[in-house]
Amino acid sequence: MRRITSTVAMMAGVTLLAAACSGGGGSTSAEESPSSSAAAEPSASESAPPVRGDEELVIWTDALKLDAVRAVADQFAEDNGITVGVQAIVNTRTDFITANAAGNGPDVVVGAHDWIGQLVQNGAIDPLQLSAADLGGYAENAIQAVTYDGQIYGLPYGVEALGLYCNKAYAPDTYASLDDVIAAGQAAVDAGQVETSLNVAQGDVGDAYHMQPILTSMGGYLFGQNPDGTYNPEDLGLASPGGLAAAQKIFDLGEQGSNVLRRSISGDNSIALFAEGRAACLISGPWALADVREGLGEDGYTLQPIPGFAGQQPAQPFLGAQAFYVAANGQNKTFAQEFVTNGVNNAEGMTTMYELANLPPALTEVRQSIAADNPDFEVFAQAADNGNPMPAVPAMAEVWAPLGQAYSAIIGGADPASTMQQAQDTIAAAIAAS
Amino acid sequence: MSTVAPATGTAGAATSTRRPGRGGDGVDPSRAAVRRRRWWKEVGWRHVVGIIAVVYALVPVVYLLSASVNPIGSVVSTDLFPTRVSLGNYADLFNNPSRPFARWFLNTLVIAVVVVVAQLFASSLAAYAFSRFRFTGRRGGLLTLLLIQLFPQFLAAVALYQMFTGIGEVAPAIGLDTLPGYILVMMGGALGQVWLIKGFFDSIPVELDEAAKIDGAGHAQVFFQVILPLVRPILATTGLLVFVGVFGEFILASIFLRETEIKTVAVGLYGVLDADRSNNLGWFAAASVIVSIPVVLLFQYLQKYIVGGITAGAVKG
Amino acid sequence: MTIAPDKTVSPPPDRSRPRPTWTATATSGVLPLVVKIVLLGLAAALAVSVTPALVRSGSWVFLGGVWAIVVVLLAVYATKRAVPLKYLVPGTLFLVVFVVYPILMTAQLSATNYGDGTRNTKEATVARIIGASAVQVPDAPSYTLAVGTTGSVDTGPFTFFLVDEATGDAYAGDDEGLTPLDADEVTITDGTVTEAPGYTLLTRSEINDAGQAGGELEGFTVPAGDNSVIRQQGFSAIELTSPLVYDEATDTITNTETGVEYTPQRNQNGDRSYFTAEDGTRLSDQSWGENVGFANYVRAFTDPAISRDFVGILVWTLVFAVGSVGSTFALGLFLATVLNDPRMRFQRLYRSLLLLPYAIPGFISLLIWSGFWNRDFGLVNDLLGLDVNWFGDTTLARIAILLTNLWMGFPYMFLVCTGALQSIPSDLKEAASLDGANGFTQFRKVILPLLLVAVAPLLVASFAFNFNNFNAIQLLTEGGPFSPENPTAGGTDILISYTYRLAFGTAAQQIGFASAISVLLFILTGLLAAAQFRATRSLEDVN
Repeated sequence: MRRITSTVAMMAGVTLLAAACSGGGGSTSAEESPSSSAAAEPSASESAPPVRGDEELVIWTDALKLDAVRAVADQFAEDNGITVGVQAIVNTRTDFITANAAGNGPDVVVGAHDWIGQLVQNGAIDPLQLSAADLGGYAENAIQAVTYDGQIYGLPYGVEALGLYCNKAYAPDTYASLDDVIAAGQAAVDAGQVETSLNVAQGDVGDAYHMQPILTSMGGYLFGQNPDGTYNPEDLGLASPGGLAAAQKIFDLGEQGSNVLRRSISGDNSIALFAEGRAACLISGPWALADVREGLGEDGYTLQPIPGFAGQQPAQPFLGAQAFYVAANGQNKTFAQEFVTNGVNNAEGMTTMYELANLPPALTEVRQSIAADNPDFEVFAQAADNGNPMPAVPAMAEVWAPLGQAYSAIIGGADPASTMQQAQDTIAAAIAAS
Repeated sequence: MSTVAPATGTAGAATSTRRPGRGGDGVDPSRAAVRRRRWWKEVGWRHVVGIIAVVYALVPVVYLLSASVNPIGSVVSTDLFPTRVSLGNYADLFNNPSRPFARWFLNTLVIAVVVVVAQLFASSLAAYAFSRFRFTGRRGGLLTLLLIQLFPQFLAAVALYQMFTGIGEVAPAIGLDTLPGYILVMMGGALGQVWLIKGFFDSIPVELDEAAKIDGAGHAQVFFQVILPLVRPILATTGLLVFVGVFGEFILASIFLRETEIKTVAVGLYGVLDADRSNNLGWFAAASVIVSIPVVLLFQYLQKYIVGGITAGAVKG
Repeated sequence: MTIAPDKTVSPPPDRSRPRPTWTATATSGVLPLVVKIVLLGLAAALAVSVTPALVRSGSWVFLGGVWAIVVVLLAVYATKRAVPLKYLVPGTLFLVVFVVYPILMTAQLSATNYGDGTRNTKEATVARIIGASAVQVPDAPSYTLAVGTTGSVDTGPFTFFLVDEATGDAYAGDDEGLTPLDADEVTITDGTVTEAPGYTLLTRSEINDAGQAGGELEGFTVPAGDNSVIRQQGFSAIELTSPLVYDEATDTITNTETGVEYTPQRNQNGDRSYFTAEDGTRLSDQSWGENVGFANYVRAFTDPAISRDFVGILVWTLVFAVGSVGSTFALGLFLATVLNDPRMRFQRLYRSLLLLPYAIPGFISLLIWSGFWNRDFGLVNDLLGLDVNWFGDTTLARIAILLTNLWMGFPYMFLVCTGALQSIPSDLKEAASLDGANGFTQFRKVILPLLLVAVAPLLVASFAFNFNNFNAIQLLTEGGPFSPENPTAGGTDILISYTYRLAFGTAAQQIGFASAISVLLFILTGLLAAAQFRATRSLEDVN
């Protein structure tokens, strides 16, 4: 999630490259080739060097989750007497869409729930049928996150949401409002103890993900919600009164105001500055924990859900769920379905995922069992409880860049109301045209 | 200046091998001062320029080195000169099974060597034809070649992906996710060095080949035994360019090479940095330093060819 | 032309060479001939060996290509004619197969709507939409699954042996329907049927294999209720029903529960259709692949967002490309000239050190440099004692990009110029000096023209490279800074970064549209390069 900016950086370049299937024109040949290649396979595989996909279950994930996924996959392989291959893919999402369409993708893919819209749009993943008993074991909004068009598409194993870290030396309390947090941080800045008061990663192109708590606390929203909890891309709330109030707040906190929010603080340095004791507080997710603990010591920091601004709404960060998906065109669907619906869908598998992927677990049983040992994760789990699932609708793709740019411009001193209105108009036009 | 020029070869060499300004050896001090002034005027200022340029070139490199020995390895903790030094990042390069750097490095070297040799061979052949033969379509061919080279191959990545998906079904050994397949794609630039090499061929007197032909050599012999030895400098230069190009190629490699074991350093490194940019900088920097070494070594080795120049080649040949 | 028209430049051609070299090789031309025959034979053998596989999979284009290559190779190398072709063919083959053909395919893609949501055929899309609407029948049991066969484990016929997970009742299911089994008909261990007399039970791997694409078990269902089937999910089975029905004749998907009908409707961009209800509600985000003719080109020329920003971006793209080439060449040439002096010591050291920026792969340099320009924590402000927000202002950001590109590019030019300078015979320089030319005149009148001839193609190639230098922009500024009025075009966007943002946004891929843009960029780059060549007339010189 924090990799949104850096991912976006290469996305445009790589997405286009990484896209292919059986061509726009030629249609029916795509159906013929898999069977014929399967027929040719035995003779070919004898002489050819090992090719990806030989295993009876192939799973794609990113480099960070590789060890965790490999552990649960190996267990599954042992239980079923099969071979598995787990591969770390740089651009997991786009490469998966591409490869799946071309018929040489994996059987299972692991990734964030906000991929679902795009994956479904491309017919790349299958819905899962889970029993009520299975579903009941998971955090309710994690299940909501992986639900799309009324179907469950992924099995969530971890949840992510932003929380508030503070350096105990400068901001030791548990704060009831962001104003208090900023006041404490600014005092430390004024005293020359730290360089920045509250790190919110934005950078020069902005970061809508990290700004979401501030937007929601001032009453703004991205998409309105239908009665059933799904998002309605036609109801945009950036230029709503709450959205405009948030824009004004961002301006006041920006470089022309109190200089709390700065474009020089980006995903590249936000966490590191805090971990080195050069920032009083930090808005970040569970991925920052290891660095913070290493930099400030086990007792050097506090962690709490992000409070709202005084007298305003509570801050609602985005909830992100990490999940397993069954590929629509996978070679080994049976094992893929079994792996996702049974292989990892239990306390042992989810505990392994928690231990190696280092995310707050989505399975309530595991969450409870570790709450005492790992209070920080419990805080993040609570933050996730308060959060709203990041919209998975494809329309979201039209939101990130313009909204981030608008935030960045406002921090730099652009007129808040008109900038926010512009961003909303741009997003609305893009959604309408698609 | 004009009167000095013919003599500089010896005089300059003499001064520069002895430290100027030492005076000494009973030489008249005023002559030493003149000599020093002349040294500054002719050679010394060049060193000043060179040193400034080196500083400009090296600051980011020093930063990279500093980051590579920074045990914390984060962006903000890295300064130009390291305060804490540890070789942990380098050790981790070779001890982390989920990031098999050594394997990536080896893959890249193999690809680079094959592509360099093949591209140089194909390019020199074509350059020879363009330089020495007159045939219809020659001019058009040269221009077309340039035009096609202008098309960034990565724009056609979608098409290449589809193509290699098809190839992989028939011949898995050269399909997607194989080193030979990726090498083939890189061979799309087989004629990328034609223009540069041809320019150099043009500067070799045609009399050389004509004389050889009079002596009974065929066109192939002229090419392999007369011309090629003479153009070593340009082969060295272009070879280095191709080598560096292969090391830096990222976009196509990221699509073609997915299996951890067959990635190139570019894909592998980017994946690591992308996963956690602020933290993996140290690891990334250490890897970058190692990756740069072959290019530096290659350049050291090739310098004598690049610098040797054509006349030296002719004499040796 | 030749750089050295004077014979004295090179040693007298052949006096020092032993004649026998030529005659020896010329008469013993057997080895080359053998090599030639072996290589040609190998090529033909390879073509023969892949032919059956290609015929089987019906890859006729591929097959034709392979044999065309063999024919070309034979025609060129088996005869004594067409000598230039013998030299041109190896590289040209690679160029045609791996560059030209993909370019043509890109042009073909540009006439389609290929991209996110349109990767599948219409039939596949309809099947996916209906499949994705299937839900478990409320209160229906779920079963453990075993698969048995009376025939082969590969081809069936298959029977599902199901055990109700709640009640433990066993059933047999085939395409006829579900049959209850008595407890003594099968053996049940741990809730799963483990033995069924008369049947061979499949192992898990066999079930998986039979369920692969094209396998007999793929899509195997057991009819259950009125509108529901029992289907496998892993090694369980569940009862599913879908409310959607597709009528091919009217091209309509009907929801049988709500009665709403969905028919294909065009979107605003005009490149795809969605199943849409009368009130405008889309049934699904999935569309399908179509040929759209020139629609992508029309959009590129008529999209108001594109035409509004185009000129400004084109100008900056040209400034960026010319500036990058000019600055790197100027610095590279200057350093090459200054350091390429026989009197200088440490030349090798200088060259080696100056090459270092080039030894670091480009994307690494860009990633490192992007951090250098940070206002508060970057190296540039730090070292120079400035407080400048480089990427926050368009002009400054452009300067920063050019300076970064200068650092990355000058070693290349330095190397090339050094090589070229070395290739200029020193006799020529000395001759010029004897003629009374001073240093600079000598450089300008004698060396520079020769050098330019040698490197002009490189400058043009470098221009073209920078014209489309996507990485330099994307990894440094991502096109920013963006002004509030215009979030689609950033201050440092060049054409390629700008159009790709338009085409892809951040995630939604429009490959067809992007291919059209690629083709247009290709044409534009080519025209500019041709114009440059005309201007420099270097081609005329080279001839």
